[in-house]
Amino acid sequence: MDKLNLTLTAVKNLRSNVRQCFEHLADGTDGEGVEESRNKFVHDFQDRFGAINSQLREVEQLINGLQVPPTAYHLGNTTFLAQETSQDRQALYPQLVNSYKWIDKVHDHSFLAFNNLNQNTLRRSYNYCSQKRQRLPFSSFNNDPDHIDKLLSEINHPPHTSYNVFRPFGSNAVAIVTISNVLKAAIVFKGVLIEWVTIKGYDETLEHDDLWAESRYEVFRKVQEHAHSAMLHFFSPTLPDLAVKSYVTWLNSHIKLFLEPCKRCNKYIANGLPPTWRDLRTLEPFHEECRNS
Amino acid sequence: MGVTVLQPYPLPEGKSGAHIIDHLGKRLLSLGATHAGQFLVDCETFISTPQHGTPTRAVHVLHDSEFPASTFSIIDNGTGKQVALVADAIFDLLMLKMTSTFTSKKQTKIESRGARFEYGDFVIKLGSVTMMEHFKGILIEIEYRPCITLSYCWEMIREMLQGFLGINVAKEYPTYFTTQTIMNAMGQQQLHAKQNDLYEPMDTVKQYLEHFTNYRKHVQLHGGLGSSGLSVNGPVLMPSTVVGVGMGRS
Amino acid sequence: MAISSARESLSLALNNRFLPNLEYLLQGSILDTAVEHLMHRLKGLCDNVDTSPERFHDLEVCMSLRQPTSPQPLLLRVRRALGQDAPFQMRYLGQPEVDMRRPTLVRSCMDCACTNGILDFLTEMGFRLEFEYIAKGYMFRKGRMKITVSKLIKIVPGKQQDMANEPISQSYIVELSVVAPTGQENVGEEMRVFAEQLKPLVQLEKIDYKRLGNLP
Repeated sequence: MDKLNLTLTAVKNLRSNVRQCFEHLADGTDGEGVEESRNKFVHDFQDRFGAINSQLREVEQLINGLQVPPTAYHLGNTTFLAQETSQDRQALYPQLVNSYKWIDKVHDHSFLAFNNLNQNTLRRSYNYCSQKRQRLPFSSFNNDPDHIDKLLSEINHPPHTSYNVFRPFGSNAVAIVTISNVLKAAIVFKGVLIEWVTIKGYDETLEHDDLWAESRYEVFRKVQEHAHSAMLHFFSPTLPDLAVKSYVTWLNSHIKLFLEPCKRCNKYIANGLPPTWRDLRTLEPFHEECRNS
Repeated sequence: MGVTVLQPYPLPEGKSGAHIIDHLGKRLLSLGATHAGQFLVDCETFISTPQHGTPTRAVHVLHDSEFPASTFSIIDNGTGKQVALVADAIFDLLMLKMTSTFTSKKQTKIESRGARFEYGDFVIKLGSVTMMEHFKGILIEIEYRPCITLSYCWEMIREMLQGFLGINVAKEYPTYFTTQTIMNAMGQQQLHAKQNDLYEPMDTVKQYLEHFTNYRKHVQLHGGLGSSGLSVNGPVLMPSTVVGVGMGRS
Repeated sequence: MAISSARESLSLALNNRFLPNLEYLLQGSILDTAVEHLMHRLKGLCDNVDTSPERFHDLEVCMSLRQPTSPQPLLLRVRRALGQDAPFQMRYLGQPEVDMRRPTLVRSCMDCACTNGILDFLTEMGFRLEFEYIAKGYMFRKGRMKITVSKLIKIVPGKQQDMANEPISQSYIVELSVVAPTGQENVGEEMRVFAEQLKPLVQLEKIDYKRLGNLP
């Protein structure tokens, strides 16, 4: 190891001397054609050149004295520096082609989706009012924050339910509703319009920065599905406040999610799930399979 | 993690445990459940070496494969007080440091192992209980994972149990939940109904201990460990007393 | 496919040497007046200083159990964070080995996180309170080495939370430790090199408790 270090130092010295020598050459003489300075310059150069030669010999000697290491040196992270970089060996090209294809596909799909969504009258927020006839100057998505706070505090909720409102994205509110020890729901508002609902179990985390992850339990994933269809059902552009109130009332009926048997078949379990559907008007519990039969 | 209920399955005369387990497993599969691995719950009891002036203390150390990194232990100080502890699995090594004070009763090492099934959000475990390699009985564990309060989902669990076991399960909450005592502010034992409490993994472990203790006692009553094909007529008795009673004997 | 029991997987961890059960330790102390310099040095050397050094404020309770077979009682230390909700930490420490050939003190060590019933549990097992104190200070990390700079605070019995409790001395205790599985002898060397870099601010040494007599 010492030998190797010596050699490396010698190489370093050689390099710096060569560099100095070239620098010296580049600087040239003082410019005036004085014989003396010119001689001095040549002399200096010869000195340096001699030094380089002797050092070169020294390096060669040292290199000859080196032994092939018995095992590979452990170089830590620096080993990664010398990895194969030849393009042919990296198999980059197929990957490149693949990702290009994917980007192309994504582009196509998003273009189609964009066109489709533009025609879709189910869009509830921005485009809704720009129908031919301008409605009253209400907007269900542009209310001031105080109004939402007031609205949510007005909802007379049963004692088992708690609301926790916060605003992660500026003025739009998110309400975390905890219904007894049964479930948690995050209601994402846009103005007073409900944009999204996530349902999770009581023992699951519903973090402020992760409102979109699905529940790990099948039953709450199913309830979330139903909650979304109910959200569309209760949507009412003319009476947005009432829509929110009736929706929350409907949601609160899940307090007996595990407690009540299905109204139709009188059983608790069907396909491993309790009655997950609550009738929109009567709030009665049904299994998903039983509700239309 | 959700509410878990243990249900001993009465072994009919002339049937072997393996046969019943096989039968129940097939029933679950035809119901639509999927087979999802194996499980193991084991229990070892350490008894304090008698010193005069102090009652014999028993430390029950249990493991549950559902919580593979934890060791559950329950100490019974001999006067009815119990303290429960959940610790890292390394706690087992610490217990071994105390062998001069607490000795393991190897002959009462008991475990329940078997297949694990999932049906919707239910987890059902068909356990055969063995003590010293001797078959003791069948213990069914059923867990409803989304719910953490027994009173909310007991009827569901009951319907499920009756459905695939084909036996009648009493409408009342299981005895474990109704007979728990807690220490009140005055330091007295007080009856406390647990069915409305938030369920914890420790509750599962305590139920196992309760049943294991029953199986152990059964052996003592019948005087010996010899009877391997032990058959139990009717439902297994579930005394309402706290666990750990009778540990001092044998 | 059979499932392995907890005891089996534990002995597997022990036999394959991936269960950390040995603590390598160096200790030293520094006067209150000079601790700022040490903190600066550590901030320069350690890994976890992107923000500010991690603080801790723990109550350590040492419980002992008389063993019929040995004159030495079994000691277990239980640590509880005072400022926050965290699991209790129980720690078993074996007899320290001061081997001249090793650069650090080595003792067997088992760390075990527990629920808050642990003190009650130990009491029921027959453990008795040996001593307790509060340790308050800063924790640094360098690779797998842990460096703590802490103030030990005496406890007025029954007043663990009280601010009136007084420091034991006018200095901080500095500890450099690694908990590693058996058979990793190079840990000691790594620590010696690090301790070297803290000189002359603090002299980290292997302290032989036996020479300190019967002090707790």
